[in-house]
Amino acid sequence: MRARPDVSVVVIAYNDALRLPRAVGSVLGQSLGGVETVIVDDASTDGTGEIADRFAAGLPGRIRAVHLPANSGGCGRPRNVGIEHASGRFLMFLDSDDTLDRHACLNLVAAAEDTGADLVSGLCARIHLDRATKRVRPWYPWLYERRAVYGSLPENPDLLYDTLSTNKAYRRGFLEDQGLRFVERLNYEDLLFTAEAYLAAGRTALIPHRVYNWLVERRAGEQSITNRRAELTNFADRLAIHRRIDALFRRHGAADLKLAKDAKFVNHDLLLYLRELRNRDPGHQSRVLDLAAGYLADLDPRVFDTANAMPAIAAYLVREGDHAGALAAAEYGRSRKHEIRADLVELDGRVYWGGTMPDPSGHPVLDVTGLGFHLRPLNELRPANTVTALELRGGRAHLAGHVMNPLGRVPPGARLTGSLELYDRRRPGRAARARARVARVGDRLEWTADFDPVRRVRPLGFADPVWDTRLRIRVDGQEMVTRPGDGTGSPPLDGVALPVRPRLTRLAADRLSSYVTEAGHLAFTLDGGGRRARTTRALVHRAAASAVGRRGWARVRRSALAARRAATARTTKTTVFNRVLTRLPVRAGSAVFESHLGRHYAGNPKYIYRELRRSGRPVRAVWSHSAGTRGFPSGARLVRRGSWAYYLALARAEFWIDDQGFPDRLRKRRGTTYIQTWHGSAFKPMGFDQPKIKGGTPAEQARLRRMVGRYDCFLIRSRHDAGTLAKGLGVRAELLPAGYPRNDPLVTGARGDPELAAEVAALRRALRLDDGRRAVLYAPTFRHGAGGRPATGPGLPIDPVRFARDLGEDLVLLVRPHYLTRIDVPPGALDAIRDAGGVPDVTLLLLIADALITDHSSIMFDYALLDRPMVFHLPDEADLGTGYFDLARYAPGPITRTEDELVAALAGLDAGGAAHAGRRRDFVRRFGEHDRGTAARTVVDRYFPERRTPQRHFPGRGERGRTA
Amino acid sequence: MAVPRDVFIVCNNTDAMGGLQRWAHHLAGLLASRGAKVTLVGVTHAPERHRHQRGGSYSVVALHDAWHPPALAWRPGSVRQRMNVRARARDLWRTAAMRQGAARLSSLFGAARPGAVVIVAQVWAMEWVRHADTTGLKIVGMSHESYRATRRSTRYARVREHYACADRFLALTAEDADAWARAGMSNADHMPNPLHVLPGPAAPLDAPVVACVGRLAHEKGVDLLLEAWEEVAARHPRWRLRVYGDGPEEAALIDRAEAAGLGGSIEFRGVTGDVGAALGGASVFALPSRDEGFPMSVLESMAQGLPTVAFDCAPGVRELLEDGASGLLVPPGDTVAFAAALDRLIGDAALRRTLGAEARVSVLRYHPDRVLGRWERLFDLLHREPPAGVPEPLPGRAPRRSAGERSGAGRPVVDPAAAFGAETGPA
Repeated sequence: MRARPDVSVVVIAYNDALRLPRAVGSVLGQSLGGVETVIVDDASTDGTGEIADRFAAGLPGRIRAVHLPANSGGCGRPRNVGIEHASGRFLMFLDSDDTLDRHACLNLVAAAEDTGADLVSGLCARIHLDRATKRVRPWYPWLYERRAVYGSLPENPDLLYDTLSTNKAYRRGFLEDQGLRFVERLNYEDLLFTAEAYLAAGRTALIPHRVYNWLVERRAGEQSITNRRAELTNFADRLAIHRRIDALFRRHGAADLKLAKDAKFVNHDLLLYLRELRNRDPGHQSRVLDLAAGYLADLDPRVFDTANAMPAIAAYLVREGDHAGALAAAEYGRSRKHEIRADLVELDGRVYWGGTMPDPSGHPVLDVTGLGFHLRPLNELRPANTVTALELRGGRAHLAGHVMNPLGRVPPGARLTGSLELYDRRRPGRAARARARVARVGDRLEWTADFDPVRRVRPLGFADPVWDTRLRIRVDGQEMVTRPGDGTGSPPLDGVALPVRPRLTRLAADRLSSYVTEAGHLAFTLDGGGRRARTTRALVHRAAASAVGRRGWARVRRSALAARRAATARTTKTTVFNRVLTRLPVRAGSAVFESHLGRHYAGNPKYIYRELRRSGRPVRAVWSHSAGTRGFPSGARLVRRGSWAYYLALARAEFWIDDQGFPDRLRKRRGTTYIQTWHGSAFKPMGFDQPKIKGGTPAEQARLRRMVGRYDCFLIRSRHDAGTLAKGLGVRAELLPAGYPRNDPLVTGARGDPELAAEVAALRRALRLDDGRRAVLYAPTFRHGAGGRPATGPGLPIDPVRFARDLGEDLVLLVRPHYLTRIDVPPGALDAIRDAGGVPDVTLLLLIADALITDHSSIMFDYALLDRPMVFHLPDEADLGTGYFDLARYAPGPITRTEDELVAALAGLDAGGAAHAGRRRDFVRRFGEHDRGTAARTVVDRYFPERRTPQRHFPGRGERGRTA
Repeated sequence: MAVPRDVFIVCNNTDAMGGLQRWAHHLAGLLASRGAKVTLVGVTHAPERHRHQRGGSYSVVALHDAWHPPALAWRPGSVRQRMNVRARARDLWRTAAMRQGAARLSSLFGAARPGAVVIVAQVWAMEWVRHADTTGLKIVGMSHESYRATRRSTRYARVREHYACADRFLALTAEDADAWARAGMSNADHMPNPLHVLPGPAAPLDAPVVACVGRLAHEKGVDLLLEAWEEVAARHPRWRLRVYGDGPEEAALIDRAEAAGLGGSIEFRGVTGDVGAALGGASVFALPSRDEGFPMSVLESMAQGLPTVAFDCAPGVRELLEDGASGLLVPPGDTVAFAAALDRLIGDAALRRTLGAEARVSVLRYHPDRVLGRWERLFDLLHREPPAGVPEPLPGRAPRRSAGERSGAGRPVVDPAAAFGAETGPA
């Protein structure tokens, strides 16, 4: 007599003869020995039942086959029948189109025996079989980060997100004692079953191991039950299930759990249906939305606060009957670039998601101030673009449409230019452009474009089958990118054909036929309309689809990809740099400048460059940029960081001048002098004094040693720098006690320098500092959030509304968050608070700031030179760790810990400033003794002696460089 | 032991003087003492052979007297590397030599009774096991370091390649096992090292001595301890730091201590044969490691009832020590915090005794009986029998695998189409 099996896996199948063996095979292949398979055939008509019988006959005891007399139409009945026939101590469920991981049973049983749990759940992975890459997407991976045991559902209500019944093992006694069964004759039986199981389980265990492979095949025609979301009955079933779950929670008096489940319904279930509805006819839409509204009306209104922002808005609008607004909210967040399809309304200093609500401020859920639509640069906004005309007029394509202008972000007098682009989806850089006329009409932007497609658009043929569209609008120099698509007032956008002449001749294709993508955007497919094109295309496609053709084509693409990767890889460039480029002769008098890895034209390198230009020294200057050339000087050659031109310039440069670091592993040749200016004195430990480096691997430490070992000259501002920064980094180069070039204007003022004075004036204008109020700069140090990423959130030391109310009459707060964080200021407080995060050059900001609020940031060392009031706001000092000195002892200004203290310090700026004048002088003597206003000249005189034949400029070379 | 079982423990070698070999001999002895027939297999011998203490309760075998072929298999990347005839020839030589070793392994395995288990302690040795015939045996792979340490090394790719087909893959802690599971190793589980000493009487903890035991190498971080000690020594001139162990950084560390003027307060005592005695004379244990697997020295200090100060550098350290309960953990690399923690313990004898007493209790979680119980449950789980009625062998099923066949993509999933005649299955 043998013991009962450990696990019974119930495999349910309906008309799936082809895939059933795969599923059963995955059960037979389990690493756990004691596994029994129960195949339940839901009255299949394709021979599935016979296959099951043959399995059972071949392996008696290990496989059983059960047949339902009539098809049940769902998963509930077969699973229940399976439970009756199963004899294992644990039960699992498997669908005939999926598989189990080889160790699924072993892992689940081991976890159940270790923890005594009634229910053990593992990770499910969705595997997309139809894609060439077999994309694998884990299902709610954040639930399965690590093993966990929960005594009851309220310990982790997030479990309700995983509503699959299949990636779990259930203790049989538990199912029996609780009488748990699947509901029959309703879809989405999983939702109710798992909710009941979670609620009833004495203990639930999770394991991070993948146990279940959910294989997704997109087949033409019939889709599996859960994929047929579009059907109304389906949705009604889901709501019915949710109502039953609600009743279940009510019976258990679990109001909090119900709220968590409702939030999940809004965040997940409802959103799926709303996004599905976009392309459906209005009748269908309103039928589905009315059903949803009926359900939402019964929910606790607190769900709108607990659910995520945009899904909550969508749900709220569904409930209120604003269908268009709800669908627009559901669309937002669907694609990577979030598209704004609803009107935004500004009321009482807050921004609301409009729709057709008469008064959107009626409910706080519609408040989207936090999303920052009023602050974001235009290139981060993506307003909806509705096509109103798409036709062919006498060989010319004619397109027209209108773009939303949210919050009037495009001002009435703005100069507008536009270009309509068709681009290859596979290589978005390959674009055909046509000029578009854009004008602000009423509260939106209208555009038209006319072009000759045959001349403008030159596809290759075959290799570029899909072409997307975008409309770029330049607004006073800023760019906004929109995607034309369908909307109210669009003509039918499908099937309009534009004639084209591919480079592979008209045999490859002869027209671009329009269609609308799933996301609702206008796109074109390249196809053949004429007889000859159709014939060649059919031939080519048949050849490509043959086994030989597929393999050959795959090989060509693979090797092309590999070649492209190898040619552009950094390792390749580094090797070529070290072996080839650095053998070319050094170009005398050439210097590569870089500030903060090329992010902007600023810092010490900028002021050295200006001094070189001012004194007319013969230097071929190259500036590296990583995020666009905006703001970079026109007199220098500009190269993109990481490009071949960049490496070539570095290899042949006589000077490297930078304030952070040139790429690792680049050999600095003997003929090159590296002037490392660095970017600030240190309060926080640097280099080898940092715990992260101290505790690091030899490789990490060697990397820092390599980078620092290249320096030939290191600028310092005081003996403090020599003892902390230079020592911590392990600098062995010459320490040049020149002070910082960027601080020269802080000592000497901008008066003697008209160029700088102009820059300061322009910045004042840009920040609208012209009403006599004094400017206070808030510049905190970089803070780490979770996982070493920069902290997010508002990051303001003081409630913006309070600042505007209490101090806004006298002061304007300039906020300079770390460049990776964005601040959140409601429009109502914008009069008193300005975002100075986009200003590249801090020196200019310091010059216009009448006072500074900071914490441990190294900006304090620079600002102290100006001898203006400073406030040190340290609410969370304990989190910031220790520094090189005791800040409280040397701080040249008051230290505040709370918002009230800060407000008080700001209200009494002058008194506080005067009281600390002596400490400021001491501070400058201690930390900035070498800053005498002559740093740039010192560096230039030391390294760039005046030549006998000054060749002042290299304009020709510069121009060529920029266009190359 | 419920069923007397054959257990094979396979290591790179069994006679180097290292923590892994100590563990292997310890585990072999423990299993043998419960009635298992244990064979400890080394793929080869260590360059310098060390005699580990062992009774005659288990046998020790080496597959190769010496290993001359390349250590690692040849994995050519580029076309140019593929055309390297010399490397190809050396790899063929390696494979042939490995087959000989694997044949010896197969004959050892072949003599095993049903229900046998092979524990592969290191991934290099796993290559031999994969080439051997393991029919009827269950394979348990092990990684004796933290996931993070493996991830940073070339071993990561080899662990994923060779251990993918193991029936179980054991990391040292649950946290490491979870990391492996997230990385896709669905056979990941964990098994702690058993305690190799038993708690004696409580130490008085009044000698002014801090002890540190470990190889003097970068990852053990003794340089960080010296840095912290500079601050501690200034405040507590009576206290001494005793460093046991040797290694590549010994001279540099001694120089550094001298240069910092710590010569008087630090004693470098070299390797000790009796760690217990060394710790007996101390009041605080310091573990300044940058990385750790499951540190045996901490197990030992806990058993002695010493409070430990350590960097929170790896799951193994977190698993052993609970901050504020059985030791003090500080952020990795933060020598200031490390010095402060030492300072706190030195200045507070009552705290030392509280933490030490808790450590002695807490370390019993790794009592050999408990760890062996865990092994036993694992063996039992691996050898659960299929439900009744199975004709053996399965109809139409090929002999499971022969030597060499397993080097493919792991164990084949049973294909029912092959088992039950062709026309039912997918093409």
